[in-house]
Amino acid sequence: MATLLILNILWQVSVLAIVTIGLAVVFGQLRIMNMAHGELVMIGAYAPVMTSLLGLPGYANIVVCLVTVGLIALLMERLVIRHFYGRAFDSLLATWGLSILLRETVELIFGRGYQSVPQYVPGTFSISGTDYPLYRLVVMAGIIPIFAGLYIWYRKSKIGVEIKAMVENPSLAQACGINTSRLSAGCFIFGALTAGVAGLLLAPTIRVEPMMGLDYLIRSFFSLVIGGLGSFEGLFIGVGIIAGAQSTLGALFNQTYGYLFILILSIVFLWLRPDGIYRRS
Amino acid sequence: MTGSQLGFSEIKCGYGDTQIIHGISGRVNAGETLGVFGRNGVGKTTLARTLVGEIPLSAGAVSLRNDDIGKQLPYERRRMGLSYMPQTGLVFDNLTVRENLSLANSSLSPETYFEIFPRLGERLDQPAGSMSGGERKILSFVRVMLEEAQVIVLDEPSEGVQPENIECMQQCILARQSLGCSFILIEQNLSMLMTLSSTLLGLESGRVVFESERNTCDRSDLLSVLSL
Repeated sequence: MATLLILNILWQVSVLAIVTIGLAVVFGQLRIMNMAHGELVMIGAYAPVMTSLLGLPGYANIVVCLVTVGLIALLMERLVIRHFYGRAFDSLLATWGLSILLRETVELIFGRGYQSVPQYVPGTFSISGTDYPLYRLVVMAGIIPIFAGLYIWYRKSKIGVEIKAMVENPSLAQACGINTSRLSAGCFIFGALTAGVAGLLLAPTIRVEPMMGLDYLIRSFFSLVIGGLGSFEGLFIGVGIIAGAQSTLGALFNQTYGYLFILILSIVFLWLRPDGIYRRS
Repeated sequence: MTGSQLGFSEIKCGYGDTQIIHGISGRVNAGETLGVFGRNGVGKTTLARTLVGEIPLSAGAVSLRNDDIGKQLPYERRRMGLSYMPQTGLVFDNLTVRENLSLANSSLSPETYFEIFPRLGERLDQPAGSMSGGERKILSFVRVMLEEAQVIVLDEPSEGVQPENIECMQQCILARQSLGCSFILIEQNLSMLMTLSSTLLGLESGRVVFESERNTCDRSDLLSVLSL
């Protein structure tokens, strides 16, 4: 029981981390409150369905996911998002409209019904006598090096420095020769692609349907509220608290208590500590 | 403006509907410095920001080595060889000194400057925001000096800097001048202006009220403009 609970908490933390990283980039760095983030997760989750409809082999899922989400993100950025950088509230309204548009479009193409996606890695693995889905273990193990790589890249790479410079002082960044328009677009598309990949990874473990994105958006947003914007440390603190509390309360009582807890916690943070636990100096 | 490194002709600009600069012209040749001075609020910083593209022109022209750059964005002007040290917001506080200098995208080594400004070399891994105002000025100054630009616009580089470091800044500027680099130096420090400038431009209410070669004027001429 304890092993299963721990594994489930780790799974929820992993899932929420991969969903939230994109929102952290877009909201934390570009100050775009992307209400369509959940829909990008949803479109990523539909990639296996699209691959199947196109008659492509299963390994093409990732290509279909990246191309579809990348093109949608590019269109969103060029047509709408670029006019709202640094305007969090305005961007919230604009991306809310986009989220409805994306959801309705998916509904028009695939219908309202649930889509089931077969397991990419079938089977179970026994840990301390507890059988646990092998696919979940593979995803959890894979996430650690991916996040470590992203952390090092952000801290050490030239582009990481340019992103931090652009976020702090766009005007001076331009004077230093940084094409802030292109860099912002790159950040937005990167954030969208991570959302799409998160959806693709989640697809075999959930029911894929047009409304699925909302839940991920809310939990991602609350994670950033509690953890704090603009750092990996804040992201992991927030994700750990939200996913950990929701899984534990969900297992001990029921899911409603889990949701209620994170809602109350988020309100408390927005009220008393709006910068989150991990404040950057 | 033919033959000049940077030239600007009858430029007019401002903020929104408020026009600050009312038709200013000037030029700087290779290896020379154009000194710009005037009281606070006469449009010196607005002129600098317009030259580097932060403020759009409402009239007039700006050229860099005879190429019209009036419509280029700031990052494009930087890549074309025009560097800028702003008066305020001049470093990235959340980045370390090393990261700030890395944004110069330079093949030049900063070691030479660490010998001149040793405090910079000692604080490479500290956030720039933890430095004093004068140290930040020096950091910004060194960044633009590393940028390998043909023209550098300096907006009050000596403000808040210790006298011995101002002297070091002057030596750095003279060294770059001897290599053909041009400067537009906006300064309140008359000694620095008189030491470095080949031409002087005095501004009042967004207009040129004084223009002279350095060797045909003296400090009292500049003071008379400042007392207008």
